[in-house]
Amino acid sequence: MMRASFAGLTLLALVAAPALRAQDSQFGIQGLGTPGRWESVRARATGGAFGPFDPFSPLLDASVADLRRVSAGVTGGTSWRSVDLAGASGDASLRGSRFPALVIGGPVTGRIVLAGGFSTYLDKSFGVVLRDTIDLRGSPVPVTDEITSDGAVTDLRLALAARLHDRVAVGVAVHGLTGSTRVQAARRFDDTTYYKNSTARDDIAYGGLGGSASALLDLTTDLRLGAWVRSDNRLRADIRGRTVATNDLPFSFGGGLRWRAGSEAVVAAALAWRYWAGAGPNAYDTFTWSIGTELGSLTSPFRFGVRGGQMPFGPGGKAPTEFAIATGVGKQFSGGRGRLDFGLERLERKGGGLKERVWTVLLGLTVRP
Amino acid sequence: MTLRGRSARLALLLALGACTEEVLAPGTCPNYCPGATIETADTILTDVIARDSAFSGYLQAYQGEAIPVAEVPGVDSRAIFEINAMLTRVANHLPDTTTVPITVDSARLQLNIVRRDTNATNLWIKLYRLPLGLDSTTTFAALTPWFADSIVDSVNLSALLALPEITDSATGDTIRTDSAGHVLQVAADSSLILFFDFDTAQARFLVPESGKVAYGVRVAGDSLASIALGSMESPGRDARVVWFFSYPDTLGVPRDSTAQRFSAFDSFVFTPATPGLDSNLAVGGVPTARSLLRVTIPEFLRDSANVVRATLMLVPTGPVPGAPGDSFQVVARPVLTDLGAKSPLFVTSAFSGSATVHLNSTAPVEMELTNLVRAWASDTSATTTLVLGQVPEAAAYTQIRFYSSRAPAFRPALRVTYVRRFAFGTP
Repeated sequence: MMRASFAGLTLLALVAAPALRAQDSQFGIQGLGTPGRWESVRARATGGAFGPFDPFSPLLDASVADLRRVSAGVTGGTSWRSVDLAGASGDASLRGSRFPALVIGGPVTGRIVLAGGFSTYLDKSFGVVLRDTIDLRGSPVPVTDEITSDGAVTDLRLALAARLHDRVAVGVAVHGLTGSTRVQAARRFDDTTYYKNSTARDDIAYGGLGGSASALLDLTTDLRLGAWVRSDNRLRADIRGRTVATNDLPFSFGGGLRWRAGSEAVVAAALAWRYWAGAGPNAYDTFTWSIGTELGSLTSPFRFGVRGGQMPFGPGGKAPTEFAIATGVGKQFSGGRGRLDFGLERLERKGGGLKERVWTVLLGLTVRP
Repeated sequence: MTLRGRSARLALLLALGACTEEVLAPGTCPNYCPGATIETADTILTDVIARDSAFSGYLQAYQGEAIPVAEVPGVDSRAIFEINAMLTRVANHLPDTTTVPITVDSARLQLNIVRRDTNATNLWIKLYRLPLGLDSTTTFAALTPWFADSIVDSVNLSALLALPEITDSATGDTIRTDSAGHVLQVAADSSLILFFDFDTAQARFLVPESGKVAYGVRVAGDSLASIALGSMESPGRDARVVWFFSYPDTLGVPRDSTAQRFSAFDSFVFTPATPGLDSNLAVGGVPTARSLLRVTIPEFLRDSANVVRATLMLVPTGPVPGAPGDSFQVVARPVLTDLGAKSPLFVTSAFSGSATVHLNSTAPVEMELTNLVRAWASDTSATTTLVLGQVPEAAAYTQIRFYSSRAPAFRPALRVTYVRRFAFGTP
């Protein structure tokens, strides 16, 4: 009973989080958004290094070949972010909650596994407040502008993985990019005697397609190599059925290496390249890296990792950079049929006169009914 | 506490924390702002008001909420009123229906001055006896002889106001009074209540006329001789007379009593009379005139802009004559449906605009109609017609005329400040 309550409460925590609403970074405001993290809590707590090898991280499709029974994993988290913007009237402390990834899958045959789910592809939630004084009818009129966007582009993935050999697994996936944002631009006048506030609202629908392929190769019983490649076509933005923007999406590839150093120690590292530069002005190709470890027994491991790299959007002609340290623990319950993962991440981003610091608390639930 | 207990609490904290969001941050443009910006523009729409006309005859002088009295260069306006009939006999031994005649000893007339110029000096209020039978057809010219030689009483209001107050220690009321017995009270709303005491000769109670009396009021002063009296349309503020009389009781002993009579009719007459309508847009005066303006809302205001301010701009054909420093209000109201002169008016004041017109001024008149134009822009089925009227109507001799759309250089215009459609969807 206690176990059931525990799992139910955890599920409640995840479901109660407003879906796909957060402002991940100011750097994404002038770009297409802030790319999501295709990682489970387990992978995130190792800095992302375990992402290519974790079947519940929607990154490397071949990894779902490791699912021996129908399983599901869900990730949620809450971020507290401070923005230190040179030239702004003051710093801002922001908070957002996300439900960024869900993976569910299971074997179709002895060697073929089918998986599906969704993850955040681009987070497009942000809010900006501006103070200005404009000249109207020959007089200075102070105004406050508030421009907000709430929503995201979601990556719906259908993946198929096959274990071709004891040491080789391959996977492919199709990705449907969909989602919407509710946008609002409000201008408020200090002089409410003569001027009425203006609020414009709209809904922007997004659409796009992508495909990915990947492979896992066990070089030895303790050493696994993973590689993935992904290509997304174009992101289309429609307002009331009319296309208002079309942007190229990146070709990406990456890989990782995992070494099982002993029965209670695993170390992994991962790299990724994404060609965002064609997505529009102020967009850059990015390279990211991560390295992490998982220590302890499978039932209650301790995780730690670091990651760094570049962000795809930002002003100033140079890609902003980010660096993060993460840690976390996991706990199996119900005889291994469920696992709860906790993670804590400290992230710092820099570029173009802006510095962001983010604390993120992560919670993940994996069940194998 | 077990690990599970701690985990459960942490999960609960996360769930609670997740329910609130804080996503607004100060922006530094252009680097950390959206590519599109909120743009505000201002334009004067000179050709959106057309098919405008003036109509007259809505209210007559006797229907006004106040009675203007003025003697200023260019205008002479006089109040006239008739007091209801007075009883001439009373029953002195109820239930016996036998009546006895009354003997009027004196009377007290009460006038309510609801508006005055506080800068007026040496302001005299003069009371004249007028013939009975005043009605809506009574003209200024017909009463001129009575205003020339039938003065009943007069009082220097400026001098009365300058006298020290006398306080009734019992009631707390304060009055000012002069040697002639005039009494002045200042009401809580700063209006003045003026009492004239009439002796038997001034009261002139005539049984054949059932005690009816009619009076006229003029003002005179060094300058700014302009006031307004309360009328029957402003309840409790019309002119009234208290009669003081006596009658013999059953033993023949005189018994004192009083009876109050209110106005049966009140109005004002003035010269020069309001001229007839022409091609311009007339507002106010007596008989009351209103002007109808039909507005065409441009398409861009409907589909690609958000109105944040809208101002109706009107150019007077000339100054409105009257007391310097005096003013009146003009209001613009939308109609429920456009039936021309008889269009029913929208009663919601949130959609109305108003402006104060200062007499002897030729300054353009501007009225804020933001709520109305916003409503029109968002509702394509709305009747986009408005009516200009004076507030209150028939309470002043003043009439303003604006150039109509038939005068291209000075035609009515709508000045609109609007926010352009935001370019959503572009990074």
